[in-house]
Amino acid sequence: MRPSVVITGIGLITPLGSGRETVWRRLLAGASGIADVTAFDTAAYPVHRGGEVKDFDPAPYFERLAPASVGRASQLAVAAARLAVADAGGVLDELAPERAGVVMGTTSGEPREIERHNDRLLAGDGAAGDGALASRYPCHVIAGAVAAELDLAGPNAMIPAACAAGNYAIGHAVDQLRAGRADVMLAGGADAFSRITYAGFARLGAIAPECCQPFDRDRKGMIPGEGAAVLVLERAARARARGARIWAEVQGYGLSCDAHHMTAAHPRGDGAVRAMRQALADAGIEPRAVSYVSAHGTGTAINDRLETTALKRVFGPRARRLPASSIKSMIGHTMGAASAIEAAVCALAIADRRVPPTINFRRPDPDCDLDCVPNEARELEVAVAMSNAYAFGGYNASVIFRRSDG
Amino acid sequence: MSQQDRVVITGCGVVTPLADEPQALFDALCAGRSALRPLTLFAAAGGGRRRAAELTDFDPRRDLGKVNVRPLDRVGRLATVAARRALAASGWTDERRAEHDVALVLGTMFGSVRTVTGFDHRALTAGPSYVKPLDFANTVINAAAGQTAIWHGLRGVSSTLAGGPTAGLQAIGYAADLVRSGRAGAVLAGGVEELCAESFLAFDRHGLLGDAANGSRSGPVPFDARRAGFALGEGAALLMVESARLAAARDAPVLAVVRGHGSAFDPRRGDDEGSAARALARAIAAALADAGLEAGDVDAVSASANGSVSGDRREALGLLAAFGDGARELPITAVKSMLGETLGAAGALQTLALVEALARGVLPGIAGLGSLDDDLPLAGARAASRRLDMARGLVTTTGFDGNVHALIVERPAP
Repeated sequence: MRPSVVITGIGLITPLGSGRETVWRRLLAGASGIADVTAFDTAAYPVHRGGEVKDFDPAPYFERLAPASVGRASQLAVAAARLAVADAGGVLDELAPERAGVVMGTTSGEPREIERHNDRLLAGDGAAGDGALASRYPCHVIAGAVAAELDLAGPNAMIPAACAAGNYAIGHAVDQLRAGRADVMLAGGADAFSRITYAGFARLGAIAPECCQPFDRDRKGMIPGEGAAVLVLERAARARARGARIWAEVQGYGLSCDAHHMTAAHPRGDGAVRAMRQALADAGIEPRAVSYVSAHGTGTAINDRLETTALKRVFGPRARRLPASSIKSMIGHTMGAASAIEAAVCALAIADRRVPPTINFRRPDPDCDLDCVPNEARELEVAVAMSNAYAFGGYNASVIFRRSDG
Repeated sequence: MSQQDRVVITGCGVVTPLADEPQALFDALCAGRSALRPLTLFAAAGGGRRRAAELTDFDPRRDLGKVNVRPLDRVGRLATVAARRALAASGWTDERRAEHDVALVLGTMFGSVRTVTGFDHRALTAGPSYVKPLDFANTVINAAAGQTAIWHGLRGVSSTLAGGPTAGLQAIGYAADLVRSGRAGAVLAGGVEELCAESFLAFDRHGLLGDAANGSRSGPVPFDARRAGFALGEGAALLMVESARLAAARDAPVLAVVRGHGSAFDPRRGDDEGSAARALARAIAAALADAGLEAGDVDAVSASANGSVSGDRREALGLLAAFGDGARELPITAVKSMLGETLGAAGALQTLALVEALARGVLPGIAGLGSLDDDLPLAGARAASRRLDMARGLVTTTGFDGNVHALIVERPAP
């Protein structure tokens, strides 16, 4: 039998604040982290709202590296990793550095390096090239910064799987632990707020003018966001032996590709269905065992409808009663960090027996007739939770979490 | 592990400046042909003296037909064409893919830094309302994989690995694990990278490029005493990595067996030679353990060395740490001497070269090797190709920022 892998530490840097307790409390309260964008001037854009991490000071999280030596996504990732390790109570104590590794996901890596480069070009400086594009921009520096800062010398991977990247990273990290390639893995995702991402989604007409309203009949789009989440993962036997607090077990995962369109989901949700079914098969459970779904729920007209279709295909008539909420209503779409943050939400929902709401929900949509836990958190005995994430490139990733026996 | 459970390579597709198919590429490597030529894609300081391994006449329509390739940027086109060739070479026809999903794992360092830079530049100059949605789709780093999957209907697991020059090899290792765990039966795995002004000028600013304009006397020659930096290259290489069971079921020839792989990280990210060498030694040890082999079972090495002053040295010290004195005589090749540093594609090209070497009993030389660096314990390095009976080979990749990955391939039993 393959070994169980559990989550023993959670680190969160989000538009709702930093740290597991703060973020969880505010998510359950239905708070909003959406505000007017400050990272750049949005005057030339038709929309102005975003989910930024406010007043972020990386300094307290850095001991070995200089915070300014890395870009913002790496800073967010390092901060989340530090918080996760602290949350996991001594997980790295007496562990050889080569037995601990890192897998991170991202959509854009460090796009602000490109923004800075272009700003210099347009200012008449920079035609001779910009060294930062080789040393600070390539996305693998994010996983590298986490490993260098925390002195982790084991397997290291960067998975730029766009908006499903967090789930990809968690799945890959679980495989490393099951194969015995490491004893502890830090897995998560990070993305920094970027005018490049903002311009793209604005051009697609995908950004909502005010707020994100997943599954609402009047939903007007997504809200770009930023953040980072890192989970500490280890085999259950090790976690129990050291007396660690276990948030949840990662029971299985599934990945698939639509092979249909770069930015639009498959019209019947085929790829999403395959990923969910593979995750269920990998976990060795039937759909009825799932008691909560962390929906991708971006808040765009098409995506939410297709996700509803896909959930119905997997869960049957029960899909209408199965609680499936989207925290993107509160923090926006944090890109590569999104599914990593949502994995933490699933683990906390299991441990805390409460699920966060979908806020801004006013009018039901017959095409999205799910129980999206409208507006108020709910007490719920969550034995098994599924987290779904869908991305550009047709990437789909579902991860299943369950209450750990120990 | 039974023969049926083994992970095998059944075909390769390449896009390189030296050749458009693996056999011809290997012939060119054995002949010591260099892909380096004067830059034409863009202007760089140093003018006509700047050299790179550039694809000067790449036309995706030769492979893909007279179709609209505008939705794909250069990276997407390279990957899509390499995939087409690998699918054809391995016998994964449209009919077979309709019955059995094929997966895709692609390594890349940059995705397309050119596409992202151009997209942002247009938003700044023309206004954000005038950017093109097609360009936005290609700004995500997994765009080339997404485009390739769409083009060829690859509906299995799809993933993208970054990591700099380790990415292509990490992708093959990731693919092997997908097959072992049953998550996929057949996986196109490898890497892609384009040559573009943004990355070229960035490496140049760091003084890492060793072409004539920088005063290098030897050009970019791995492990050479006079090496002064690397030359950039571009291309794509994808290998069909699948279960032996699937290969046997359709009578596909097996080119090689993927025995195992291992990953490690140097937390000092190259600042400390000892730490870097130990990281590579750990990755090699992990690959050997994964394969159930010992250091003495390795007959040849396909190295990551590219002519970098410090990078080549770190790799040599890592090999010494892994193999002890055995490293001194270990036959070793470094195809970046001919293909340049192709970053995300490099690990796959190194693997492909080794797979062919095992099959043909010939190890390519290190083109241009004049005087081996006395400090490096690598007497097994030669300028010319040589006949050599090899059962197993090791591929090593070392990144710029601490990433290291190793993988072991084996000649199939006759």
